[in-house]
Amino acid sequence: MTTRLLWLPEALRAAGCKVALVDGWERRGQDSLGRILGVLCHYTATPDATRNMPTLKLLIEGRSDLPGPLSQLGLGRDGTYYVIASGRANHAGRGEWNGITTGNTSFIGIEAENSGRANDPWPAVQLDAYQRGAAAILRQVGRTAASCCGHREYARPAGRKTDINVDMDQFRRSVAAILSGQSAPPVLIPAVEAVGQARPTLRRGDTGELVIELRRKLNIPGTDGTFGPQTEAAVRAFQREHGMVPDGIVGPKTWTRLDESVRKV
Amino acid sequence: MFGSKMLEVAIGIIFVFLLVSLICSAIREGIESWVKARAAFLEQGIRELLHDKSAVGIARSVYTHPLIFGLYLDEYRPRTDARLDALSPGGNLPSYIPSRSFALALMDIAARGIDTHGEASGPSAPELTLARMRENVLNIENGAVQRVLLGAIDTAGGSMERAVANVAAWYDSGMDRVSGAYKRATQKILLGIGLAVAVGMNVNTIAIGRFLFRHDAERAVLVAAAETAARDSSILQGDRDARYARAIAALDSLRLPIGWDDVVLVRPWTTRQAVNVFGARTTVVEGSGLWLHVFEPLVGWLVTALAVMLGAPFWFDILNKVMVIRSTVKPHEKSPEESSEDRQTGKDRTSTAGARSGSTMLAEETRDVTPARSARSEAPPAPTRERAPVPAPDPDNAVDACDVQADVHALTSDEDLPAAQGGIA
Repeated sequence: MTTRLLWLPEALRAAGCKVALVDGWERRGQDSLGRILGVLCHYTATPDATRNMPTLKLLIEGRSDLPGPLSQLGLGRDGTYYVIASGRANHAGRGEWNGITTGNTSFIGIEAENSGRANDPWPAVQLDAYQRGAAAILRQVGRTAASCCGHREYARPAGRKTDINVDMDQFRRSVAAILSGQSAPPVLIPAVEAVGQARPTLRRGDTGELVIELRRKLNIPGTDGTFGPQTEAAVRAFQREHGMVPDGIVGPKTWTRLDESVRKV
Repeated sequence: MFGSKMLEVAIGIIFVFLLVSLICSAIREGIESWVKARAAFLEQGIRELLHDKSAVGIARSVYTHPLIFGLYLDEYRPRTDARLDALSPGGNLPSYIPSRSFALALMDIAARGIDTHGEASGPSAPELTLARMRENVLNIENGAVQRVLLGAIDTAGGSMERAVANVAAWYDSGMDRVSGAYKRATQKILLGIGLAVAVGMNVNTIAIGRFLFRHDAERAVLVAAAETAARDSSILQGDRDARYARAIAALDSLRLPIGWDDVVLVRPWTTRQAVNVFGARTTVVEGSGLWLHVFEPLVGWLVTALAVMLGAPFWFDILNKVMVIRSTVKPHEKSPEESSEDRQTGKDRTSTAGARSGSTMLAEETRDVTPARSARSEAPPAPTRERAPVPAPDPDNAVDACDVQADVHALTSDEDLPAAQGGIA
């Protein structure tokens, strides 16, 4: 019998991360996972900073020469974890870390959305979620920060892979700090505005008068009061344009910026 | 959709029954290996077969006959306890006696007598022939058995082998009865073990059914696990410890509302705090009253115990039958795209059924993309380092997917992303 990683969403959410479930994640991936011994950090190397998780479909489906899923988790640029599979994924390849050579069997793979190029710095919110998520997984499986490594460090022969272009020693120090409780708790978006109109934070799935107001401010035609995927995409576009975290969640900062942009017009 | 949901709940419950039955039968076998009740039943059965209730005559003679004596250690000590159930100790006696050994022993006693000293075991002992047996049949010292033996000899038509087969057939018919009695006693003790396990592990069938009905993700996982298990009868095989460990691990991995960890004990008249396993732990007010807190667990445990009584092979059979029903009820689950060259993705795609709108769009779009991708794959693939012939314990571990170029796949736009939760205070 097999152990599926059904605890992943709960563990990540408990760590303060945003989590989105890809349909069918509970059954995706083969049943041949072993005991989880660590976390393998990847980046997707896709140079498209205008979307949050452009490679999601690829990670789910795989490509013609490599069946998906290509990792258990995808990490969007806004720090949202996309839970792709609860079974085995083809992410590790040949390599070795701490004597472990069975990467696909023993490691949980996280593919973070980043091109890996110098002109594509890691957003702070994404890197923070990366470390918190890795820590949450390691805590769940009872391993230390030393069991978390970059694909570049794992892959053999050395130099076979370039991901990830993050200082992994610094990364592990941060993970260790989170595991030992020495780092600050995760920064969550307030549920309501602290000042002014005290508008609640809106996200996809919400409905009501405020959603209609939001859609008007975003110049989305129609009088639909539902915060759907299109509204979310429009919010992300607005946030990206104004240099904010493009998470599609309308919190206090986004409300303020929306008010300003409307006033300017 | 309602029908298939009910069916999936049923599959889940049957699978849980199967696992709990496996656990209980492993426990039962553990007890049996210690108590050896089968030997007690066999001894009792032989006594009754030989019309020797107190084991002073022919039954004792058979057990002490060298052919049978070799099957157990130490002296023959007849059971004195009148009680006979699945906990009756069988002592050192054998659990099984081959029918041929039994027949030969009985016929040997008939021909040469009970005593194994002196003449009877020397060169001058009577030959073992049908005629000699018939002459000396009084050696048996038991009228009923003598009649059986005479009948066996007389209907053998002069063939020694046929006479042995006749006696063996008589013994086997007696053994069928022993097996029946033993099985019934086993079911009784399984009921006891089932109750103990159901209460000890808090396997409440009603609660599990309700949980499965409400939690789609857990139900899908359970059905997937049941599908895997139904295809593979090895779950019923292997040694006791392995089966026990497998079943425990399987139950553990299913994240069902079993065990006592998540249960908050309350007074019956207050509301129960049920723990939602998936996602954040939320408090679900389920109501109050005696039914929920007292009778429902009692009934749920009892149902589990009764199910355990039927045994793991029974539930395995039922599981397979229900799986067949399910495959006829839900043909679309078989995925028409399965025949395409990429089986893995075909399988994944089936699970997008009943989806949120965003993900349905995703599935639609990927379907459009697939032909383009496979067309490209017909071009000779660039040699990759992963393909190098390397000795690896598990070849699949040599597969990875980074450095993916954006132009080989359609990108996922923001609108097609699934909805996120969490991150808000």
